[in-house]
Amino acid sequence: MTSLGNSSSSATEYVVRVPKNTSKRYSIMAFNAGDKVNCSTWTQARMERDMSNRRMYGEEETAEGAAGSEFGKKQREESRRKKFGIITKEFKVEDQPWILKVNGKAGKRFKGLKKGGVTENASYYIFTQCADGAFEAFPVHGWYNFTPQAKHRTLTAEEAEEEWGRRNKVVNHFSIMLQRRLREQEHGEEEEEGAGEKGGKKKKKKGGRGGDLRIHDLEDDLEMSTDESDSSGGEDGEGKSKSKKETNAKGKGKKKKKKKGSDQEGFEDSDDGDFEGLEVDYMSDESSSEEEEPEKAKPNKGDDVPKGIDEASESEEESEEENKNEEENKEEEEEEDGKKTPVQAEKKKKKDSSGESDTSEDSDIEGETASALFMAQKKRTPPKRGGRGSTGSSRTGSRPGTPSIDNAATSNTLRAAASKLEQGKRQATVPSSDTPAAKRLKMDPSSQSPSGKSTPQPASGKSTPSSSDVQLTEDAVRRYLIRKPMTTKDLLKKFQTKRTGLSSEQTVNVLAQILKKLNPERKNINDKMHFYLTE
Amino acid sequence: MSDRGDVDLTGAKQNTGVWLVKVPKYLSQQWAKASGRGEVGKLRIGKNQGKAEVSFTLNEELTTIDSTSEKASLVRAPREHPFTMQTVGGQTLAVFTENSSDKIALEGVVVQRAECRPAASENYMKLKKLQIEESLKPHRFSQQLDKAVTTNYKPVANHAYNLDYEKKKKEEGKRARADKQQVLDMLFSAFEKHQFYNIKDLVDITKQPVIYLKEILRDIGIYNVKGTHKNTWELKPEYRHYQSEEKSD
Repeated sequence: MTSLGNSSSSATEYVVRVPKNTSKRYSIMAFNAGDKVNCSTWTQARMERDMSNRRMYGEEETAEGAAGSEFGKKQREESRRKKFGIITKEFKVEDQPWILKVNGKAGKRFKGLKKGGVTENASYYIFTQCADGAFEAFPVHGWYNFTPQAKHRTLTAEEAEEEWGRRNKVVNHFSIMLQRRLREQEHGEEEEEGAGEKGGKKKKKKGGRGGDLRIHDLEDDLEMSTDESDSSGGEDGEGKSKSKKETNAKGKGKKKKKKKGSDQEGFEDSDDGDFEGLEVDYMSDESSSEEEEPEKAKPNKGDDVPKGIDEASESEEESEEENKNEEENKEEEEEEDGKKTPVQAEKKKKKDSSGESDTSEDSDIEGETASALFMAQKKRTPPKRGGRGSTGSSRTGSRPGTPSIDNAATSNTLRAAASKLEQGKRQATVPSSDTPAAKRLKMDPSSQSPSGKSTPQPASGKSTPSSSDVQLTEDAVRRYLIRKPMTTKDLLKKFQTKRTGLSSEQTVNVLAQILKKLNPERKNINDKMHFYLTE
Repeated sequence: MSDRGDVDLTGAKQNTGVWLVKVPKYLSQQWAKASGRGEVGKLRIGKNQGKAEVSFTLNEELTTIDSTSEKASLVRAPREHPFTMQTVGGQTLAVFTENSSDKIALEGVVVQRAECRPAASENYMKLKKLQIEESLKPHRFSQQLDKAVTTNYKPVANHAYNLDYEKKKKEEGKRARADKQQVLDMLFSAFEKHQFYNIKDLVDITKQPVIYLKEILRDIGIYNVKGTHKNTWELKPEYRHYQSEEKSD
């Protein structure tokens, strides 16, 4: 080191060395300014290559040898790739990102991605000053940009989209992640079996509307079934009610939103005024509570696991609704985790609050338009209420066209006798008033009124006065039989269910009666029994 | 294994400051040629009216450039290189090293960034010109040949390869039907190794005529027409025991 004295400048000279045989390879670890990383504060650090991309490069290995493998598969794959010119990039360990963990498990995590193009046109050197004052220069082999990794839970893409859709309504953002966490917990618990879990689950569910958000495979079926049951006035088919319960238990905002949306759409779409009449019938509170009781009774059998949740959610819903009605002021409280406790308290009351649920039915609907705070909770409950065969939504007359399917289908589905009779009575009274009029218009020449035929039949045989050209009347049958001999099959073909609006069962019944009346002559043609009339 | 991941934090704790210097390619090439202890030059740090001036002077012996072209000997690398000093900015740049044994150590933190620039001199211009000329040359070019190439694709009565092939075939002879039991044994041992086989491969393995082999296969195996393993033979389920690696006859 020599110092040169000069009048205007003073300089010191240092020798620069580039050591030749270092075993160490130097790399740069770059952090963002905003992260405020101070390396001197680190007590302990671990750094490893992130090998998670390896499987992308190693193509899927089908079973090597023995089962599932083909002879010479590897060679064939290779030659195939060569033929098509597919070049797969190698997996270079050198280029893989680093994972840096500072201060152990609880500390920060960083991911270091290699920056390309650093050593292409210019080289970077690290100048360190040695003890003897000389500088040593080491070349830099790689530059890695380290970014901190989030440790907090984040939403997945689907969940994020869902939440985005609700952004205008959700005010309580804390609940979003809370529910998600509880949902996850529940998933984990369901895997373990045991009725003992039920108690644990109930506890967990306290704060958690999350418990309601469970995905079932029957989802699609459930949607349909709830629609049907709504319109038909809470049919309590065993399977259906059970699944219905679960739908309710779900309270998945998305799903219920769909339903709500569909409700609204249905309102505009359904021009058919007939169904309003149907739904009006179910305004009475007693009927709904009737439905609710059997509903509750039924789901009590069956799986422990889903049932426990259903029951728990049931109570929760009711208690929530009470909350809604009574505690709308306690917004702040609810926002914190402390919201668990009020719900907890209410939960204890539980069970036979079906009456309450009905009374709060209306508040439901208000609730939907009420304070946004409870949207997250309410989101599940009101549609749940509506969806649940208490036909809440159907009462409001907002069900879509599904009832038309139902009217025809209900008699097909043999469910609890009680509900059938109920339903049969109602439907028979309401639509049959319409049908005779329509029928009379069409069948003026016919001597007998079709409605006379329809009423004795169970469950609204001809409730849908669809614009059919063919009515299953005695006259029509007579005409056919006079013209030529026909088998029963042929006759049935003539009166297609689509065109008469009857189900196949009904058609058969009606046809049988008609034939009895007519008492046609029988002839065996081609080994088949044909009927014919001579007049 | 836990040793591997641990980072040696002594450099960070001491807050050793280092400089990150960007050096032109030709200079790093010259540095690579350094001999002995690796001394490459001198660094002068001075203060000129309040401003720090840093400059690097390349050692004399390292100024010669070796290059394939003839002109290279005339060109010398410039000696003077002033450094442009820059701040690190907000970024925190740390330096870590990897050992040959994959041990990672944090050497220090960058306190100063600099760029090594060559002083604009005749030498440097010439050097650059040389570099540009080199880079302009295309890597692939057409060259005219004086004589036509006659070393390959001569017409031949019968190619050497073909002759060998025919000889080999003659040796092998036609495939004879071996004992059914023997063939079955061969098949089973083959199916022990892989589940699916092409008929051609099986013929190869067993050295049996195709028809005979197919008959035997029809007994013990099934032919996959559809699915992932198309047109392959596999053993019938009752003959398979892949988990325990046993075979039943």
